[in-house]
Amino acid sequence: MSSLTRTGDDRLYWRAQGERNRGLMGLFAVVAAFLALYAYLFPGLLSVAGVSKFAQSWLPLALVAMAQAILMLTGGISLAIGATVSLGAVIAATTMSGYFGVAGGIVAVSASGLAIGALCGVIAIRLRLPAIIVTLAASFIIGGLALLILPRPGGAIPGWFSDLLAGNTPAALGLVFLVALLWKLYLATPLGLSLYAAGENPVGAYRAGVPVDAARIAAYAISGLLSTLAGLFIAAQTGSGDPVIGQAFTLNSIAAAVLGGVGFLGGRGTMRGAIAGSLLLSVMINVMFFLGFPPVAQYVAQGLIIIGAVALPQLTARFRRRP
Amino acid sequence: MSQANNSRFPAWSPKALLRNRAFLTVAIVILVWIVAGFAKPGFGSYGHLRYLLELAAVIGLVAIGQTYVVIAGGIDLSVGAIVTVSAVGVPLVALSGDGGGAFAVLIILAAATSIGFLNGLGVAYLRIHPMIMTLAMATFLQGVLILIAGGTAISAQNPLLAWLGNARIIGIPAGVLLWAVVSGAALAVLHATPFGARLYALGANPLASALSGINVQATTMAVYAVSGLTAGLAGVLILGMNGQGYVGIGDPYLLASIAAVVLGGTSILGGSGSYAGTIPGAILLVTITALITVVNASAGWRSILFGSLILLLLLLSGRESQRR
Repeated sequence: MSSLTRTGDDRLYWRAQGERNRGLMGLFAVVAAFLALYAYLFPGLLSVAGVSKFAQSWLPLALVAMAQAILMLTGGISLAIGATVSLGAVIAATTMSGYFGVAGGIVAVSASGLAIGALCGVIAIRLRLPAIIVTLAASFIIGGLALLILPRPGGAIPGWFSDLLAGNTPAALGLVFLVALLWKLYLATPLGLSLYAAGENPVGAYRAGVPVDAARIAAYAISGLLSTLAGLFIAAQTGSGDPVIGQAFTLNSIAAAVLGGVGFLGGRGTMRGAIAGSLLLSVMINVMFFLGFPPVAQYVAQGLIIIGAVALPQLTARFRRRP
Repeated sequence: MSQANNSRFPAWSPKALLRNRAFLTVAIVILVWIVAGFAKPGFGSYGHLRYLLELAAVIGLVAIGQTYVVIAGGIDLSVGAIVTVSAVGVPLVALSGDGGGAFAVLIILAAATSIGFLNGLGVAYLRIHPMIMTLAMATFLQGVLILIAGGTAISAQNPLLAWLGNARIIGIPAGVLLWAVVSGAALAVLHATPFGARLYALGANPLASALSGINVQATTMAVYAVSGLTAGLAGVLILGMNGQGYVGIGDPYLLASIAAVVLGGTSILGGSGSYAGTIPGAILLVTITALITVVNASAGWRSILFGSLILLLLLLSGRESQRR
């Protein structure tokens, strides 16, 4: 975008971005505060190794938060994220040590994620079935597939690949930035541009010639891809595959997206919000661990934080409206 | 006046019956039972069918509240956690002077109802989306339960529950009778009271309902309280049948209740449907599970079969027709 000839467009672009950021400032402040607290409690965080380890515990949650957010932006939702993560993990653990090696494994994981996501999308969108039920049924089918491929934890990931992704390198942090960058590029494609329109006002977008169905099905496919990639990373982290390792991610992905200000009705929210939401959840879990809370106290805190994060803007808005 | 009557009670015709989702679901259940009865000896025996009904009673009770909430345009993702609260809570509040055990049950039912009421409070006054509010409540309860009860199973010494779980009245299990009685009340409230009519109005168009004088906040809180109450009842029944409660005992009933509601033809978008469809929906769900257990397959194949069957039944009965 050349700034000389299209200053008007530029100003509009930044105003739109500013508008989207407005509701997020509070979230960013909370995330920064938690990060500062974490660094204070655990000074080791401020080193290459510390950042690497933290980014590795954060990356899977960031990926599934994005997978859920892209669906919620189009007005959909997925209850199959956890099962898809598991499927990605077992496919990675069974193919990477095989004939086609790591490259073949990455292709297999990506292709299966895209295919499964697209299939869910076609069933939900083309057959006009409610997404929440389709993905609920799909979670059983996908979870079953994972159990068929690997009935019990096993398989293997080549050691060098594990070291590359989950060793003492900040590769995970780089991957977060890479995925965020790819998301920006996707938003500039025709399908990406249709995404917000399809979520905000499907009927209006359809009449204006936006490929609503295609944008939604593409969102499901990308969501499946992100989920299986999260599974791939977890498999690399643990060095093997586990057919039920992803279960907790379904609800956590919704929680992270919601914390990040992504709305259920479509068209509301930003990907940077969802990523910040996942960062908040991740830091919170680590901080509570360092403060010596029992691991389950994180559930209590998570529930309260979600309600607070959603209710506060509502309440302040109402007080502002009523002078 | 006669026209209004006609639209509410349409004249009986085969075509209208085929369009009735509750009837369709009943027909599918009967068909599946007959086919399975011939294909698998022992499936159609009275004892086995009675066992299926006992299992369906728990799902059916949870699904009462879920049906109400879904008809009113919401969804309750905390029912599984509330079932656990009540199954774990009854042994915890056992009092020494409480010989019959009724007092502990009443306390827990009141607690379950207030949890639902809190859900309603968040949805109605804080304007939190129902899915977020109930999900956060479920997460919160899960943490509290593990902190209080720990990871071990807790046995109940409660005569009332023992009776509820094991007694047979004229050969019918007490749990199934409880389900039948509560179902009758639930159907009556839904279809013959102003409260029931308000639920449909609220689910169809909340703004129009508010403008036409319905107290949206009070109705919303009431409907989530009902959901808490029926989930609590289901938890009490499970505890009676199982003898002990543990954290996580209610988890399967969250998805089962939603599946039963949708299989019964209630629109997940709200405003239409009936508990009359959810009853056969719950029975259908346990029948499918039983059939899959009978087929000697690995865990993976069982899970795939279950998911595919739900999708297939959804195509037959739960299709959202009026979109775009």
